[in-house]
Amino acid sequence: MNGAEVEKKALKLGYMPLSDCLPLLVAQQQGFFEQQGLTVELHQEVSWSNIRDKLIVGHFDGAHMLAPMVLASSIGLGGLKKPLITAFSLGLNGNALTVSNALHTELLEQNASAFDQALTMKALIEQRKTNNLPQLVFATVYPYSCHNLQLRYWLANAGIDPDTDIELVILPPSQMVDHLKLQHIDAFFAGAPWNSVAILQGHGHCLLTGMDIWQNAPEKVLAVTQEWAVQYPNTHHALIRALYQACNWLEHHAEEALPLLEQYLSLNSPLIDQACLIPAITGEYVFVHNKEESKPPGILIFNRFMANFPWLSHAKWISSQMQRWQWLPEDIDCDELVAQCYRPDIYRAALTDDLLPNILLPTDDYQENISDLASAHQLLPL
Amino acid sequence: MIPARVMLVDDTPTRSAILEQALLDQGLTVVCRLESAQGLIKHVEIHQPDIIIMDLESPDRDTLESMTVLNQHNPKPVIMFSEEGDSNIISQAVQAGVSAYIVDGLNPHRVKPILDVAIARFREYQALKKELKQTRDQLADRKVIDKAKGLLMKTKGLDEAQAYHAMRKMAMDQSKPLAEIAQNILSVMSLLSP
Repeated sequence: MNGAEVEKKALKLGYMPLSDCLPLLVAQQQGFFEQQGLTVELHQEVSWSNIRDKLIVGHFDGAHMLAPMVLASSIGLGGLKKPLITAFSLGLNGNALTVSNALHTELLEQNASAFDQALTMKALIEQRKTNNLPQLVFATVYPYSCHNLQLRYWLANAGIDPDTDIELVILPPSQMVDHLKLQHIDAFFAGAPWNSVAILQGHGHCLLTGMDIWQNAPEKVLAVTQEWAVQYPNTHHALIRALYQACNWLEHHAEEALPLLEQYLSLNSPLIDQACLIPAITGEYVFVHNKEESKPPGILIFNRFMANFPWLSHAKWISSQMQRWQWLPEDIDCDELVAQCYRPDIYRAALTDDLLPNILLPTDDYQENISDLASAHQLLPL
Repeated sequence: MIPARVMLVDDTPTRSAILEQALLDQGLTVVCRLESAQGLIKHVEIHQPDIIIMDLESPDRDTLESMTVLNQHNPKPVIMFSEEGDSNIISQAVQAGVSAYIVDGLNPHRVKPILDVAIARFREYQALKKELKQTRDQLADRKVIDKAKGLLMKTKGLDEAQAYHAMRKMAMDQSKPLAEIAQNILSVMSLLSP
């Protein structure tokens, strides 16, 4: 099967201008698509809704997509319903929670020694309630996103009900910084590079990264329709191989890719420069403006730790959270949905190949050790 | 039957004005026309539209979609889909740059004509824009050609017809557009002239 002729050579892939779209840009620039016999056109989009719609109606062959969106669209949440699948994760992590300078000061006044705790946030919210102050406004990027699920998980863990204790709104990532600056929102939970943009321009403080909620969490995936995957299996394999190579390349050459990322991300965003792209890519994360503070590399992981494997345990967590918030129809069989949408079998088939040796292929579809996720198994009742 | 209440969100005011008129002509009610998505959700709550037509190129679609799940707010706009599973209409809409949201289960039979009008108007607008661009380009081309012609007449002592024919011959020999030849002549001449 591998190395077999691709059924379709010319492909259109959609992506959102975010740091984690980098594997697509690199696969194009470094010629990995071409090596696999593919001629790829990359299309930058303005909304996740557009990505979904264009994938579903066949304007795109594949897309950079939010992992939960694959599940949501497969059962028609929000409207358009078409079975989508993923057999390739584009990486792990990347998200962070940034609060406005004003909220940061309030939090510090609450509890300076442990201000990065959700419990401080809880205490502050209670205090604001008592003082009849308006609810805090949090923003995230899309309802069916890892961002939203991680943020809600973090809030709920501290006993904050994301539906009643705060106002939770959806904004395009590129508008987060402006809304924070204008005090329309008090905090946002989004992916790279938007936290760094806010911090480096002095409009906010990073309170925590997604890794404080779940070390090595799923984020974006390569999505295709189930129909497409059945029709073009060899093409799908070729696409996965090219992207794997790009992710692997990035693991060793991330800094070299910065000019490429800047070129694509600044197309429609005057706020983007190379400085704000560096932290998530290199792991030299800055939490507070003008204060160097770095974490071990790993804010955005493209390839190591088997980052590209479509773990069923990832999808299981996503579906369990969607169920928790009562977004799924009651009669839905989550295991079935997970097995339908996440396809490690295709990943293995694509990468069992002499051309790409030394790829670690897990035998299990579930990652046993997700203990990194704070109390993953207990879904705390609100 | 009460006419459907339509809300338009489009940052191209000319286009949305054309669409509004077309919808009014059909006896529909346009309850709100927004040029930016500022306060989008509040406007949906205030105006309670049955259907929302939105420019596909607006990044605020994701914000609108959040109404389907976030909080317990009513109304809940759901992206337009055909009950009969006819993805053709959706494909056409996407192609034309239209997205449509139905609120609280407006009958699909009442949605289709509205969507058809929106698609048609968006397409017309696209065509109009293309035509305008062509006209502009043509005008610009004409200016370059006239300038090159004038330069040839002056430097080579040709009359107007001769200068024009010389350029046309060059264009045909090199199978390049006349405007490109004219541009080349201007570039070369400016290089040579002191």
